[in-house]
Amino acid sequence: MATRRLLDATIFVAPLLFLVVVWAIVVPVFQVNPQIFPSVPAVVQAGINSIIDGTLFLHVGASMGRVILGTVLAVLVAVPLGILMGISKGVSDFLTPLLRFFSVLAGIAWIPIATLWFGYGFGAIVFVIFNGVFFIVVYNTLLGVSTIPMSLRNAAASLGAGRWALFTEVLLPGALPNIATGIRTGLGFAWRGLIAAEMIATNVGLGYMLFVARDFYQTEVIVFGMIVIGVLWLLIDRLVLAPFERATIERWGLVR
Amino acid sequence: MNALLPLWSFWVRTSRQWPVLQTLAPFVPVVLLWQAVASWGPFPPAFFPAPMDVVRSFGTLMYKGILPEYLGDSVARLAAGVAVGVALGIPLGLLIGLNRRAYDTLWPVVLFFQAIGDIAWLPILIIWFGFGLTTMAFVIVYTVIFPVIFNTVLGVRSVKIELHRAAQSLGAPPWRILTEVVLPGALPNIVTGLRNGLGYGWRALIAAEMIVGTSGIGFMMFDARRAGSVTEIVLGMIVLGILWYIVDAWVLAPIERATGRRWGLTQ
Repeated sequence: MATRRLLDATIFVAPLLFLVVVWAIVVPVFQVNPQIFPSVPAVVQAGINSIIDGTLFLHVGASMGRVILGTVLAVLVAVPLGILMGISKGVSDFLTPLLRFFSVLAGIAWIPIATLWFGYGFGAIVFVIFNGVFFIVVYNTLLGVSTIPMSLRNAAASLGAGRWALFTEVLLPGALPNIATGIRTGLGFAWRGLIAAEMIATNVGLGYMLFVARDFYQTEVIVFGMIVIGVLWLLIDRLVLAPFERATIERWGLVR
Repeated sequence: MNALLPLWSFWVRTSRQWPVLQTLAPFVPVVLLWQAVASWGPFPPAFFPAPMDVVRSFGTLMYKGILPEYLGDSVARLAAGVAVGVALGIPLGLLIGLNRRAYDTLWPVVLFFQAIGDIAWLPILIIWFGFGLTTMAFVIVYTVIFPVIFNTVLGVRSVKIELHRAAQSLGAPPWRILTEVVLPGALPNIVTGLRNGLGYGWRALIAAEMIVGTSGIGFMMFDARRAGSVTEIVLGMIVLGILWYIVDAWVLAPIERATGRRWGLTQ
């Protein structure tokens, strides 16, 4: 089993390693201008430098802090709100167009007004992430609650479940698969929003790191930052979001 | 109570006749609330414009011709980017989905590049192509292509192997299997990919226009930000929202309905 997984991992990584090898050969052979595209050693060097002087951790920490804060706040507000709205069909039908309108705007479109309201910096970026996650999670929670069969709710109520028990034991678990999907989608938009917002509106963070490097034509820093962004997102998506989504869906028997 | 009843039945009848009303109605209280907050005035108008200000600025920008031009620019870019992304993404997705070796070699690469995210490419693209159209085109195509590839692969792999074999044993050459078994079978997923791709491509376009733009709705909003004119920012957001509604209702939903219905996927 372990060797099987190791083999799978090797097969998975092999094409990426092949790309790196091609990159390592092409750049010196064609003598690509380092201002156009960096060589492999330069990128490694840039990575090591940023680790040694601590800037990498500073930027990654700032970005992750914003994402986590914005997402947690958004989910904490969005899930109860979504469930409350979803309980009544009339209310949810009424609010659906509104929520769809705002979830379309989610993320990047809020950057200009967020920077105007909160100034350039932490507040504006957390606001953009909050927005990106909030509306999509509310909408999905509402959808999730509305897919719970009415008979289940009636059954729980007639067995003597109070409002609170109904909320925690029927509505919340029933909507959880949709909530998970909502968080995953929302975070996907919010992550891009974060990078864009950091390019525009701050002086620390991964997006800022890339954008400043551009001013000095430090392509090695840019490429290194892109790799960091890619790896971080893969880790978030594979290690946090996908297992969460799978767990909720499997638990409630939605897997085919 | 009874006085309200005819009013309510009138509403039910008219909204049944024009379903658009049902979509629009929820926005009425929101706009009223917005107006109330704006005129009550806890926020200075420089931060929080009233609805009428936004309508007025819509009028001015339409009259000056700025809004139609920027809107046209944005839509044209999005359409071109999506067209190229789909034209490249579907064949690639078919290749990856059908060929085991292509899947093994290309799938990790696709996953990784998808994770980097469109906007992270902007700095290096600006170095390569400068501030301009090429950069924006690249970003949009890049954003659109991955969801399309992903979902095409998903769709191709969801076509049962028995169907391939049945077609084969009935004497279908590979080309006809592709066009008559694989492609139709994958179509619902491809449409989902198109929807996701548009959703992401659209946001990427706004970001790219803000950062590198010289025209377009994103540029208009960011330019307004620089000038501190909040009405134009709000106007831009509303235009974006409405535009998406139109794309969704007139382009995506009909395609989805057509594929879903044809293949019996509607519930």
